[in-house]
Amino acid sequence: MTGLSTPFPTIAEAGQMIAAKRLSPVELVKDLLARITEIDPRLNAFLQVTERQALAAARAAERAVMAGKRSPLLGIPLGYKDIYETAGIRTTAHSRILADNVPKQDAETIRRLHAAGAVMMGKLATHEFAIGGPSFDLPWPPARNPWDPRRFTGGSSSGSGAAVAACLVLGALGSDTGGSIRLPAAYCGIAGLKPTPGLVSRRGVIPLAPSLDTAGPMAWTAQDCAILLDALAGYDPADPASVPGPTVSYAAAIAPPLRGLRVGLLRRFHEHDVPASPEMLQMVNRAAATLRGLGCKVEDATLPPVQDYNAVGRVIISAEAYALHEATLKTRLSDYSRVFRVRVLAGALVRAADYIAAQRRRTDLIALTSRAFEKFDVLLTVPTAGTAPLLTEQRPDDGFARPLLTTVANVAAVPSLVVCGGFTPAGLPLGLEIMGPAWGDATVLRVGHHFELAAGTRSRRPDL
Amino acid sequence: MQLLLSRAGLVLNPGQVADLVLAWRQVAGLIASLPHDRPLADDMALVFRLPPPAPAVARPATGTPARKPASPKAKASAKSVPARKKVVAPKRATPKTAAPKAAGKRKAAAKPAARKSARRGR
Repeated sequence: MTGLSTPFPTIAEAGQMIAAKRLSPVELVKDLLARITEIDPRLNAFLQVTERQALAAARAAERAVMAGKRSPLLGIPLGYKDIYETAGIRTTAHSRILADNVPKQDAETIRRLHAAGAVMMGKLATHEFAIGGPSFDLPWPPARNPWDPRRFTGGSSSGSGAAVAACLVLGALGSDTGGSIRLPAAYCGIAGLKPTPGLVSRRGVIPLAPSLDTAGPMAWTAQDCAILLDALAGYDPADPASVPGPTVSYAAAIAPPLRGLRVGLLRRFHEHDVPASPEMLQMVNRAAATLRGLGCKVEDATLPPVQDYNAVGRVIISAEAYALHEATLKTRLSDYSRVFRVRVLAGALVRAADYIAAQRRRTDLIALTSRAFEKFDVLLTVPTAGTAPLLTEQRPDDGFARPLLTTVANVAAVPSLVVCGGFTPAGLPLGLEIMGPAWGDATVLRVGHHFELAAGTRSRRPDL
Repeated sequence: MQLLLSRAGLVLNPGQVADLVLAWRQVAGLIASLPHDRPLADDMALVFRLPPPAPAVARPATGTPARKPASPKAKASAKSVPARKKVVAPKRATPKTAAPKAAGKRKAAAKPAARKSARRGR
């Protein structure tokens, strides 16, 4: 077995090469460790590189391959957002508050990935407790966008987005409460799936707002997300939201062609509710045309305004995040970043009646969204109004001041995938969002996979 | 604002108060946009459950008792426990027999702590 013949393999490609004994997991990990040493100082994607553990796991994977074991994730190097607990390895949530936190157990998702043979390369940057960022007043700097390091990665799975886009890891774990997987996926030009709530266990994932939190995969392609989801999905009795999901192979389910699929274009979302840039509008219209070319039936679809979903999501996040941090905020307020304080302290003033009003409205919105899926198999929109902004343009109150298109899927409790829909003339990626009905994770991955193949957006990497 | 902060038990410096005011204005606007005037019967709206993923997949063995319909026997036994009569809502008897008792305990335990934090706030 040898090292990399192609500089940027996907999980699917690396998995096939490892299985055919044409790629050594140890050489792959060594190549990526060298790449991290060279590139990460410019990106700050890693909070901690677990070199010793990575090499040990890669050697174990190599022995398993030579012994004839087969698994699509055997020897595949991954990174984990630093809110996923890792046994014996510091898990900080990018915060002073947990600077010395060394969990005793792996998160259930980590356990599943390692059981499938994946290799942990390290812990990745996040916004403080998945909400307070980008922040410059913490012990670790915020991650930077590989397509232009002056720009924001999106958050809160910021290190995951940067590390995958820069090919420092082949896949990563993120978490998504209002868009935290899909925003970095959009700004960093990769694929990220917010699964149906209950499909992927959140045990051992430091929570932000438990009624909206989801854990999910991020990778270069929708196909790679499907491969990761095959390992991640499954019932976990220790997560109260966990539900026995469909027993399907997501990697296999994405193969059938899209002919006859009904696609709803949420035109009002990106043309009126959160007006997108001309480049984004051109991209989504091109994407609709690409899907038509693949045999899909594309028609306009409508949902309640983005602002309705956003109000529900932000009120729930404020109240639940404050409730989780109240005791620590009262004793260690100045140890949190300013951005965290701005975004979470307001939750102290949310009345119980208002929180319940938000939960009640959420139930309406779930019903209204699910009705739209009687007519359509998937809904198409954009996750952001434009490309990645400059880091210096970020405001602490951004999460409240501007509605997030991505929050729709969190509030509606449906799966949502972001893939790279194209690039601006300046070379910045443009994200495309595909939402499906609850438990329609395989369908959104299938649409994303065929779109990526047809649009040809996966051949371009950041110039680092 | 200071009254609300002391009620929450938070001690903030002027800069932090300014940050909070900035965020609170936005959150208050979002709260105002939520419908608050709902019929009382909408209480059920607080609970939602996703449709089952596929008919062939069996539900887990744990956590199901709460979803079983209340049997007359369960209702009768609930009524026969005097301690529960004070906390169970009269209209909707449910088979969650342990929950009201626990809720009562939580309520009783929460009082001193709430008073303590209020005193600290002053």
